[in-house]
Parts: sequence; C-alpha cells; structure tokens
Amino acid sequence: MPDTLSLSQSQPQQHAFNPYTENGGTILAIAGADFSVIAGDTRQSEGYNIQTRYAPKVFRLTDKAVLAVNGFAADGNMFVKKVRQRLEWYRHAHAKDMPIRAIARLIQTMLYSRRFFPYYVYNILGGIEEDGTGAVYSFDPVGSYEREACRAAGAAQSLVQPFLDNQIYFKNQTPAPGTSFPRHLPLSTVLSLVIDSFTSATERHIEVGDGLEIYVVLAKNSPSIQGLRDVRGVSELTSTDDGERVFVVRRELKKD
Amino acid sequence: MTSIGTGYDLSASTYSPDGRIFQVEYATKAVENSGTAIGVKVNDGIVLAVEKLIHSKLLVPEANRRIQTIDRHIGLATAGLLADGRNITTRARDEAVNYREAYNAPTPLKILADRLGLYVQAYTLYSSVRPFGISTILGAVDKDGPSLYVVEPSGVFFGYNGAAVGKGRQLAKTELEKLKLSELTTREAVYEAARIIYLVHEDAKEKEFELELSWIGKETDGVHLPVPKDLHRDAEAKAKAALETFE
Amino acid sequence: MDHFPTNWGRPRNDAYDAYGTFPLPHRPNNDTKDAFASGVQRTQQPIVTGTSVLALKYKDGIMMAADNLASYGSLARFKDVQRLHPVGKYTVIGAGGDISDFQYIQKFLEELIIEEFTSQDGHDLGPAEIHEYLSQVMYARRSKLNPLWNSLLVGGFKDGKSFLAYVDLLGTTYSASTLATGFGAYLAQPILRKEVEGKETELTEDEAIRIMETCIRVLYYRDARSIDKYQLATITADGVKISDSRHISTSWSFAEGIRGYGAQTQ
Repeated sequence: MPDTLSLSQSQPQQHAFNPYTENGGTILAIAGADFSVIAGDTRQSEGYNIQTRYAPKVFRLTDKAVLAVNGFAADGNMFVKKVRQRLEWYRHAHAKDMPIRAIARLIQTMLYSRRFFPYYVYNILGGIEEDGTGAVYSFDPVGSYEREACRAAGAAQSLVQPFLDNQIYFKNQTPAPGTSFPRHLPLSTVLSLVIDSFTSATERHIEVGDGLEIYVVLAKNSPSIQGLRDVRGVSELTSTDDGERVFVVRRELKKD
Repeated sequence: MTSIGTGYDLSASTYSPDGRIFQVEYATKAVENSGTAIGVKVNDGIVLAVEKLIHSKLLVPEANRRIQTIDRHIGLATAGLLADGRNITTRARDEAVNYREAYNAPTPLKILADRLGLYVQAYTLYSSVRPFGISTILGAVDKDGPSLYVVEPSGVFFGYNGAAVGKGRQLAKTELEKLKLSELTTREAVYEAARIIYLVHEDAKEKEFELELSWIGKETDGVHLPVPKDLHRDAEAKAKAALETFE
Repeated sequence: MDHFPTNWGRPRNDAYDAYGTFPLPHRPNNDTKDAFASGVQRTQQPIVTGTSVLALKYKDGIMMAADNLASYGSLARFKDVQRLHPVGKYTVIGAGGDISDFQYIQKFLEELIIEEFTSQDGHDLGPAEIHEYLSQVMYARRSKLNPLWNSLLVGGFKDGKSFLAYVDLLGTTYSASTLATGFGAYLAQPILRKEVEGKETELTEDEAIRIMETCIRVLYYRDARSIDKYQLATITADGVKISDSRHISTSWSFAEGIRGYGAQTQ
C-alpha cells in the first residue's frame, strides 16, 4: 500500500480544463479557370454523438469570397464572426469589398496572432481574384497558407484529398500519347467530383453526412453559368448585379 | 434675495455670511422654471405624471421623456434640466443594480432615495461642480407596499403621499390635498393625476405640452409601465372635460 | 482513506479513464499544491451538479424537462432544485453541470433583462438574443480557461417562431428540433428524434408530455445521478409556463425475476 501511494504521489494526475474539442465534418474547395467551388457537409458531432444535422461550415463573406471552416466549431464560429467584422470595417473605410488576396493575408494575420492559443480550425477560402481567375487558399490553424487549385480538410481529409489529387491534378495518371491533361476542369465536372467526394466520405467516415452545401462563385460574365443551369437545388445569393455571382447548391447526404 | 452679487453666490463650496449656499438656491430656481411633475401614492400603487412642455412643433412626439424606469418596480420623474434628469436616471439605475448584486432582492425605494440623496448632496460641496438643477420624484411598489419620495437639489429627500414639483407645484399640491388618497384605486389616481396636470398648465402663457403618465400597481403586476394608450387617451379626455367645469 | 468528498463514489473520471480501468490510487488527485501560487483559482471541475436537460419542438412551441436533483459527487445532495429558469417573457434556459455556475448565470441574465426593460425603448430580448449573449459569455470564459461548467439549453417562442439551441462550457453551439444534454444525449435523444423529427408541427402538448415522461423514466432507470422528480416547461404564444414538480411512475417488479447474482439461493 505505501508503494502504490507513493506511486500516485510521484505521478500526480494532471486534470486541467481542456478548452478544445473536435466537431467532425469535412470541407473542400476546388478552383476552376473562372469559378471557385467551396463545399462542406452540415453534420456537427462530438465523439459518437451527432449534435445537429444542420450546422453550416461554409459562409459567404462577400460576392467574391466564401470561407469554409472546420475543426472546433466554437472557435470556427467566432473566427468567422471576427473575419466578417474586419471585412465590414474595410467596406466602411474603402467603399468596396476586400479582394480575396487581401482576405487571405488578413486570415493568416488573424490566425497567427493567436499562435500561442490557436483557433483550432482549418480554413479554406475560395473565390475570384481581381484578375478574374478562380482561387482557393488553404490555411493551417496558426496561419500558414498557400494558393492552390484544390484542397480538402477536416475529418475525411485523408479520404478526399488523394481522390482530388488523382482527379484534379491527374496524379498517378499518364495522358494518352500525343495528348495532355487540362489545367482546369469545367464546372459540371467539378460539381460531380465534389458530390462524389462527399457521398464517398459519408459512406466511409462516421463524422461526415446529413447535408451538403456547395457554394459556387462565378467570375464576372462567366460562361460557366451554363454548368449551373439545370443543377438540382441551386439558389443564388449574389447581393449586387454587376460583378461576381454566388450560388449555393444544397443536397442531402445519408444520415446514418 | 439679499447679499446676491456680494461674491458668495459663485461657488457651491462657499457659504454666504448668513449661512446659505446660493448655488443650491439657484438650482431650485431652475426647477421652478420647468413643467410640472407630480406623483400620487394610493393604497395599491403609484402614479407619476409630467407636463412636458414642447418648445418646438418639429420635435418627434413622445421624445425626450421625463419619466424614466429605474428597476422593474421603480419609476422616476424629474422637473428641471432634462440632461440632469438623465444623469440622475443613470445613477439611480446603477444604484439599483448594485443593490440587487449585493442582496439579490429588488431595491427598497427608501434605500434608493437615500443613495440618490447622498449623490445629489455631493454636488453641493465642491467649487468644481454645479448642483443638480432638478427635483426628482421617485415612486415604487416594494416589499413594504407603495412609496413616494422627492429628492431636492440640496440632496434632502422626503417621503410623501402626494408630490408636486416644477412650475405648477403650488396649485398641484392644493389639488392633491383635496384627494382622498387612501380611497382611490391606482386607475382612479391616473385620472386625477391627468386632471391636475391639465389644471396647472397655464394655457395662456405656455406653449404646447405633452402629458406623460406612468403607473405601478396591481394592474401592472408591480411593474413600472407607461399608462396604456387607451387609458391615457381617456384620462386626457376626462381631464379636458373637467377643465371646462372647473370653478 | 480518500479525504476528498468530490472523489467519493466516483470510480472513474471520464476525461481520462472512461472505462474505470485505473486502480484506486490513480483517482483524480486534488492536492492543491500550486493552485494558490498564482493567487487565483479557476474552476477545474464541477462540484454540485445537475444531470440531463431535455427539450423538443412541438406544435405550439418548445417543451423542456429537467429533474430536480443537484448531486454532490454520487450523493443526492439537494432534491428540490429547479433547473429550468425563465429569462424574460419568451425564454427558458435549462442547465446541466455545475449548479453554482448556473445560479451565477441566472443572476447576470436577470440583470441583463432589467437593463433592457428600464431602457424602455420598445425592444425586448427574445430567445435568439439570449442564446447569442450566453454563447459569447461561455466562449469568453472558456477562452480565459475559467469556464462556467454547464451544458445549457435555450428554448423560446417569440413573434410566432419557436427557438431551440444549445451552448456549453466550451462555447460550442448548435440548434435542432430535439436536444438533450448529459446522459440524455445518449439515452433520451434517440427516443426524442424518433418521436419528434418530421412531426414538429403536428405534435400536441399532450403527446409532447408523454414523450418527455418516457425519456425522464428511461433516464431515471439508467442514469444514477437522476431522480424521479422533475419539472416541465412550455414556451408558446401564451408565454412561459414552468410546472410544479412532478413524479414519474416506475416499476421495479422485474427485479424479482432476475437470477444470476444477488441474494437469492437458486
């Protein structure tokens, strides 16, 4: 008995409050030539509990920028709130929306300012650059970021990213002799890839499912609008009529 | 006033040789220039009424209220400088919150009046500040039933059954004295209060006025609320009718 | 002998020993050692606690339920505690977790409501505003590593719309047509979802009461930190109503038939 007692004394049990948790779910974004697609499922969970079947992780920031946030939901919601506040102040000061390149740097600054008590969130920012090209920026929780053509993050990142590497970057594929792979895919193909990514992730990952929200941002006068014409469950969210356009496609995912 | 202009009236921190503080007396004058405010205490409630003089037709109706709510169960009406009334309101709310934090109970009006009295009195002590140019009527229904207090610019406060401050206070007081306060319901007191305000308003001299009415009683569940629109209208109509038959 | 009452009857701590695999000497060590070194002590664990809170949407608004027990570890310390609390005219909050933190929350919400009332500006706080405010407070406190140790449900009805949402000590929030905190999330939520989802606009008050009774009964049978005395709250167009304490009927006759352990001889 004295033995076990001294054992417990020599290794005091730390029982500190843990300010973080993980709320599951997955997000992804793909950039096209003149559009950007940003998607996320709507399940929020903790451990084996589904907390709700509808908690959005993807947010329209401006007519040309959409932000997807995944990780610790409370941090995510607070972070989006703070970003939106900064964008509003920018609008008041400059009478225009912040360009996406600047939003990306802003997000890196905001994340890094919490380097030693981080927002436990993975951010993916999608939208249209000032030159009219589709853009995707991805971030780690402390602000490292880069511009990419596609990115998946969250619970099913390890399932989805290899699939995108193969289908978007054509990794481990060889073009037929005399041909080459396209640099950018058309919108309809991208949408199919996104939907397939999520249905597959839903099958194989318990934290993914319930609902899917796919945001599509189109550059000014983009012909890609054709790719949205007969998509089921699409609705427009654009607030002005002379620039980029934002749409959202809502779909059901399996709820088991 | 004797000894005015002798230099003893420039600061609240200096007595005159005959023991008066002129700045406080001047503050009282500011109150006397203001539209009348009255408070009525009856067995089961309190009614506050204010004659709010409208100095411009361009003002939004019901703006610049002179009756304020301090806590659920406490109302406050001021006569004097409007801005001073707002300051005292803020202070009264802070005091009520402070009491609740400390005792987890609604503030008894006696204690609030005491604290406001201390606050107002402090402004009669220093040369760097000016005394409050308001008289404050406090009304509440608390654990001991209805109560009514008036805090003067000097910081003194008294409890009343019926209170009147401002321009028409003399006539209002005589009218209040005629009422059998112990026999009135709060609803009846609303009519009386409205009548008195209309009565003391000097039509010839004054511009337009707006009648402000609030009550606390059984009908409001002990909560200080503006008198409902229909009752307000009815009380106003009856008050106007009573004017015709007065004297 | 373990001298810390908060450890009594607690064979395990879910945070690091979910299945009670550690031997007794490894129980949480409550030595204060350096706790006062910095001059402040933060909430590191709940002391007197309430268990589940349940809520659902039905035809007329929101119904909530919580039992009347406040436990001190495994001791049923206070058996007449109200864990459903009205806030303003349109909202009820229900709390699981630390009761003293909940009382503090009640206090500052009361202050908030009075501040809103005294301003007399023609606006008042509905359930959505109260939930948002609570979320900001809970998140701010977790960010100071000094949380209010509660799981809260906020239910309300204002301007013809019902509202139901959750917030906890981490600042995590979500909304759904049925919600349950604590053990209720495991035991009652499946029942609630089965009975309510898709029927939110049809369920009558009587049906909702029956569903709640079922859930409270299941919790009483299986959650050792619950009792059979509980209250119901409804928030509808008619305002907030919180019932007197009610009793849930239970039947233990099945225990007679159990064989295999205990005192019986065969």
